[in-house]
Amino acid sequence: MSQKGPNVERSILVFSVWAVLGFFGLGCFLEGLARDLFVLSALGVGVIIAAFVAHIVINGIFATGFTAGEAALGIGAYGLLGLGFIVGAIGGEMAMADYYSGLLLFGPLAAGFLAYLLTRHGMRTAFSQFHIKPAGVQEARK
Amino acid sequence: MTWLPLYGLFYAAVTLYWARVAAAENRNVETYFSAGHNVAPWISALVIAGASLSGWALLDGAARIGSAGFGLPALLQAGIALALPGVFFFKRLWLIGQRLRLSSLNEVLRAYYGSEFLVVFATVVAVLFAVAFAGLQLAALSRLVVLLTAGEVSMPVAATLLSLVLFGYVVIGGMRAVGYLGAVQAVLAATAIAGFAGFSLISLGGFGALNSGLAALAADPAKAGAFIVSGVVQFTAGAGREAAALHDGTAVASLSVAFALMGFQASPLAIKMVLSTRSPRGIAAGQTWVMAGAFGGLIALCIACIGAAALVNPGLGVSGLLASLSPWFGAWLFIGLLAGVQLMAGLALITAGEALVRNLYKPWFHGRLDRRDTVNLPRIGIGLLALASVLMQGLTPVTLTVLASLALPLAFQLWTPLLGITWLRWITRPAAVTGVGFGIAGVLLTEPFGIAVLSFFGLDLPWGRAPWTIHSAAWGMAANLTVTLLVSAFTQRRGFGEQALEARRFLLETVRSRPRVMALRSTAWSIALAWFFLAVGPGLIFGNYAFLGPDGSWPLGMPSLWGWGLMFWVAGLGLVWFLSYKMEMASPLAGEGPAYEPPPRLRIDQHQREAERLRALVITAAVGFGLVVLTALAFGR
Repeated sequence: MSQKGPNVERSILVFSVWAVLGFFGLGCFLEGLARDLFVLSALGVGVIIAAFVAHIVINGIFATGFTAGEAALGIGAYGLLGLGFIVGAIGGEMAMADYYSGLLLFGPLAAGFLAYLLTRHGMRTAFSQFHIKPAGVQEARK
Repeated sequence: MTWLPLYGLFYAAVTLYWARVAAAENRNVETYFSAGHNVAPWISALVIAGASLSGWALLDGAARIGSAGFGLPALLQAGIALALPGVFFFKRLWLIGQRLRLSSLNEVLRAYYGSEFLVVFATVVAVLFAVAFAGLQLAALSRLVVLLTAGEVSMPVAATLLSLVLFGYVVIGGMRAVGYLGAVQAVLAATAIAGFAGFSLISLGGFGALNSGLAALAADPAKAGAFIVSGVVQFTAGAGREAAALHDGTAVASLSVAFALMGFQASPLAIKMVLSTRSPRGIAAGQTWVMAGAFGGLIALCIACIGAAALVNPGLGVSGLLASLSPWFGAWLFIGLLAGVQLMAGLALITAGEALVRNLYKPWFHGRLDRRDTVNLPRIGIGLLALASVLMQGLTPVTLTVLASLALPLAFQLWTPLLGITWLRWITRPAAVTGVGFGIAGVLLTEPFGIAVLSFFGLDLPWGRAPWTIHSAAWGMAANLTVTLLVSAFTQRRGFGEQALEARRFLLETVRSRPRVMALRSTAWSIALAWFFLAVGPGLIFGNYAFLGPDGSWPLGMPSLWGWGLMFWVAGLGLVWFLSYKMEMASPLAGEGPAYEPPPRLRIDQHQREAERLRALVITAAVGFGLVVLTALAFGR
């Protein structure tokens, strides 16, 4: 089987996982915020984390990591949501349930992200994942 | 209003992403129609199951239970009824397709029977699915868009947008896009069904509250009919002519509706997907665990829950539920529903586009069409079919409904030629052709389309739709089977063509039954017939009272027929498993044979004959149109 085959199949699985768990988790999280129900938000966070776990399991099955696009999308979405949360917290418009829900979402995700990098790449190479060297430097090293 | 466009945009982006991936993998035009016959078996299994379910289960199945109750228990067995044709045909058709290098049902019919009539008929069925069956479901979705946006998006705009997304990914990525995206769409659709059921139950206060509501309805003499099958058969003149006593959900109505459902996996759509798959290894697992198990369970449990909730509270139908949910959940479930419909619509469009150009236009009128144009012309055809569907959704919704109702029963008429190819070697070419012809007549004469056409010409039939409460699929098959048996008996000396003989020889060698399987034949017949009799046939009468206490209470905590349906869904899953694996009807093969090399032949220049055919077609169409106008003017009204 060609290399392209399994990657496509991996992508189909990843899309399916996020279409189901990701959007359901997001819905629960938003519902919890709208109704000031911490338990519902926590359920949403749990489902989103389950989606991440499923994604990592799929990566494990296909012996690969997150693609550059997936990492960019994930970090971008995380940054945007985090910014929204910080702006909301500074503005003082959040109920306590919303505040705890936000912390619950961002805390485990940040911790999980770091744990993933450290366990997968080690302390030193984890940093290199963000340290993109210019093409000229890479060529010179070769 | 924000969430639906947001999710819609995201969905459109995903479809275009997969179209781009598919187009890049297609590289040249050769793999546009069949994805290089390299679709992974598990993807194929998901796509076939998702397309079989499409949106009808939610849009039509749940609505029927919501309005008429449990009087048509065949709906609960839809997962099994949809899975059985695949168990019968897929493995053998895949083997023939691989051996003779065929990529669609039309090509199989042409190679085996050498009948252009059957090829045209299969094309008509594919077009009906693409334009009418899919169009009807897309129209329902467009109405939901209008509802969810509080009228800010009009129905024509919604229909156009939904069709544009569909057209975009089918035209760009071809069969590969339909397959890759279809797997994601199938998962989304299944999740949407589970989601709808969950929200229905939450809205009513749980499963116990749902059944309390149903029990209250059952106690009302005016509504009690919704919980029983109204007899084995009722000899009425049919819908529109004579109303049935209580309701028209008889046991025979259930059986004939199950037959209609069994048309989907005998249709050119499902077989197109099978022939695009790289191996038959996933057929047994797909039909057993995905179609009959997972999707069948969704129907028997979740669709029934959604329908029952609407029966208790009519405001909790699919549209009512969508409107009452938070916008993010509403948008998510809507996208799931859309994914299910577009999965089937995409498969139908590419099958119909290919059939029209590659299987009809090219061999008849333009044999010198090069490969690039053989792909580009169907792309135009797909665009025209999508456009026709959108126009009919807005301008002629009644005609769309009438045509849509023909798709499944007509597809079911393909069972006899398919049985002839795969199992019953004594079905001859004249028998298959004549049988299908009579089958078509049987369907048309018991469907509103045929009745309306004849009425237009001044001939009023004395019956309406589904006379004797029997669906047109069964009327058609009764005529089809009778004629096929009779003609086969008289034409046994007629030979088959070279490719048909090769297919017969190959199947005989490759899938010869082992002694252990032969010994189980009578068991298989017995349990299959018993299942049909009890789950969807006359035995449903027992289901009316099987789980009813002496005081009329429900010992299972749910209506007797629902409990009966769930019990026979589990039994049906066992039946599909038994046939697929134990009887080896769909089980994987140890090896795969090499492709057949036909003896080389001189290619004759067909240019002159093609021009003559085109001229004859134009003249025939003009004369036919003239005759229709004259007849209508003379006798019509």
